[in-house]
Amino acid sequence: MVAIEVPEVNYTEYSNRQLVAIPLAVLVLALAIIGGWFLVTGAPANLGLEFTGGVELRIADDGGDVEQQIETAFDRQPDSVRSIPADDVYVVTFRAADEDPEGLANDLSTQAEEAGLSTNAIDQVSPSFASDTARTAIIGVALAFLGMSVLVFAMFRTFVPSLAVVASAFSDLVVPIAVMNLLGIQMTLGTIAALLMIIGYSVDSDILLNNSVLRRTGEFYESVNRAMRTGVTMTLTSMAAMIVMAIVAALFGVDLLRNIGIILSVGLCADLMNTYLLNVSLLRWYKFEGVKR
Amino acid sequence: MLEPIKNNWRILLLVVVVLGATVALFAPQFGPQTAPGENVSEAQQGVTNLQYGLDLAGGTRVRAPLIGYTATEVDFGGDQPDEVARAVAAELENASARDIGAVPEENAVEVTNPTVTESEFRAAMDASGYAYEDIRSGVTQETRDIAQEVITSKINEAGLSGGSVQQVQSLTGEYFILVEVPGEGREDVIELLEERGTVQIDIAYATENGTAIQEEVLIQDDFEDIGTAAQADRGTGAYVPVTVRNTAPEGEQSPAHSFQQAVDDRGFASAYNSNQDQCRYANGSLSGERNPCLLLTVDGEVVNSFGMDAELADSMASGGWATDGGFRLTTSEFSEAEQISINLRAGALPAELDISGQGTSRSISATQGENYKTYSLVTGILAVFAVAGMVFLRYREPAVALPMIVTALAEVYALLGIAALLSYPLELAVIAGFIAVVGTGVDDLVIIADEVMSEGEVNSRKVFNSRFRRAFWVIGAAAATTIIAMSPLMVLSLGDLSGFAIFTILGVLIGVLITRPAYGDILRRLLTIR
Repeated sequence: MVAIEVPEVNYTEYSNRQLVAIPLAVLVLALAIIGGWFLVTGAPANLGLEFTGGVELRIADDGGDVEQQIETAFDRQPDSVRSIPADDVYVVTFRAADEDPEGLANDLSTQAEEAGLSTNAIDQVSPSFASDTARTAIIGVALAFLGMSVLVFAMFRTFVPSLAVVASAFSDLVVPIAVMNLLGIQMTLGTIAALLMIIGYSVDSDILLNNSVLRRTGEFYESVNRAMRTGVTMTLTSMAAMIVMAIVAALFGVDLLRNIGIILSVGLCADLMNTYLLNVSLLRWYKFEGVKR
Repeated sequence: MLEPIKNNWRILLLVVVVLGATVALFAPQFGPQTAPGENVSEAQQGVTNLQYGLDLAGGTRVRAPLIGYTATEVDFGGDQPDEVARAVAAELENASARDIGAVPEENAVEVTNPTVTESEFRAAMDASGYAYEDIRSGVTQETRDIAQEVITSKINEAGLSGGSVQQVQSLTGEYFILVEVPGEGREDVIELLEERGTVQIDIAYATENGTAIQEEVLIQDDFEDIGTAAQADRGTGAYVPVTVRNTAPEGEQSPAHSFQQAVDDRGFASAYNSNQDQCRYANGSLSGERNPCLLLTVDGEVVNSFGMDAELADSMASGGWATDGGFRLTTSEFSEAEQISINLRAGALPAELDISGQGTSRSISATQGENYKTYSLVTGILAVFAVAGMVFLRYREPAVALPMIVTALAEVYALLGIAALLSYPLELAVIAGFIAVVGTGVDDLVIIADEVMSEGEVNSRKVFNSRFRRAFWVIGAAAATTIIAMSPLMVLSLGDLSGFAIFTILGVLIGVLITRPAYGDILRRLLTIR
């Protein structure tokens, strides 16, 4: 049987600058993508229905040329039509119009019915509620991040190691958002949950590393490798669960689970990089140079 | 005897929790609460006591504000509420005193007529001379409470079991009514909610130059003993049998008497003498013989017009009818009669729900819910397999890996038990929480296993304990950060996500307090007894 062995990295071969360069470059790139998105679209990511308002219908694909029917059934052109073969449905999305969206859901479901389409599910979100949700979500993520930072500083009580954890958690948050933009995944409530989950998940391996280096006896590189063996296993197990969840849920068209799965997989990937490059080099600087000052 | 219990209390605690979860999941005593008119087996969905939410069982959820404007901190100046209401209504062209609510307990005056704009209401308040602080959109707490009650009884009257009605507040302080009806399609629910359900009887009568309408001859409050809708004995129509109230405060005419009076005044008795005499009313005017007509009006729209039996008209003319007060609200269709019966029993909504404008709704068909149930089960099982596979690949030793997976599963099982105990409806978001729990749970077990097995053989209890404690510091710290990160979701109103947060946090707590210490004990037994 193939066994997973976590390779030992020989950190002595690289300078701190070399180690930090990669995660910083990725972070800057991610920030640039998000910034660019903001300049072009007016929002940091592709906002989903829950944040823009609109109507989403799940229309049963009971044989026949449903896609053709969908094209002609509605007075308004749908903003997107997605087919989910495993669940035999088409997901049709209408963005809230700038003009008054009065009765949009009613009209659309009537139009679908008149065209002989059967609607499995219908979601309607009003624009005012959507902007409310967006604000609440931002506050939620900010509060979670702040709470985590305070807790980390309270636990380690030293500036640089705590900062290392918070910095890699920040990068773990930003990279998935940038990847979401590039993959065309929309920001929904599910992705917000996933982002908060990343805040919780990703600091685990950082805490493990800091704990191993700061609170345990033993040589620096030995401590790092010990923490890495455990940490990489942890992250890979979680990633396995999330990748499977993302794939299965994508097949079945359960968007919420798919989005959570994708975001967490990307976030955990970023976390591997941030923990074992960014965090390690900051810790090494602190251990060998910072403490002496 | 006590020694083994003391040594293994962590494992025993886990066993107790798992047994407890089994009881909560399967014992009929912990079954879901039954809705009125529902028996236990109907309320139970499947073999377990688990309750499925909208996503997994199908149903409709609607969240909408009540339409209206409220003037805050109004100085009533010692006037009675109805005086105030009349004074404000007098300043508004398109509203009557019934559209204005004055609530002295909240120092508030509200308008619930949807045609009144904010500036019109502001002008009316200014003109009425009552000092106030500001005008906000929305209605008073009192009206919201009444609306909640009315919607609840509407849902019950309509026979939609298991529905729930709540008031929720958004971040900006706006109030919304949140209605959830499991297993029911969007149209049925919205039809029920969108109608305010004010039922009244008007009389249309002929004048020299056309048709006049005497409004509100009977209003909602005048009806009592409301029967269920029934098919008419002849013809295609249907009716709701009601009794018109024959009681009134001292010095006032009872509704039955005043109705009798009005019918007599408009000449029903002379117009209706046989079956040949018909009511002909359409688009606001009488035609044919121009007999007077009773108009059944729901939410300001005439739903049916009808004449009167000769006998009934005569008994009204002679003044004998009022003591009995029996009356039939006739409609052309049975479904309409049903709706009116529901509206009369539940009462009218004190304000309209803005479903199409600011409303948010979600509706899922029962089959889609059933599908989601299967999919999330499959997703969950596959995720567990993925985790198990990774753990086996990493440790290759079943003695370490197997208890790990069993412990992680016990955690999810305990969570399901809690969900059953709390009757917390399972949603997709909660399932995501479960999968997240498996992920974090195994993470921590990996930390314990690695820590305990590091630095050579574990040959004594003391060595084990000190290593276990070290591992536990990291687990505790990691758990604390997860709980902190998730807690905003629990309190902020972000839809289903509070369920996700609640179950992730519960899972972390169960993990840290129960399952992970137990795993430590299991591992110790396996590693030290050799």
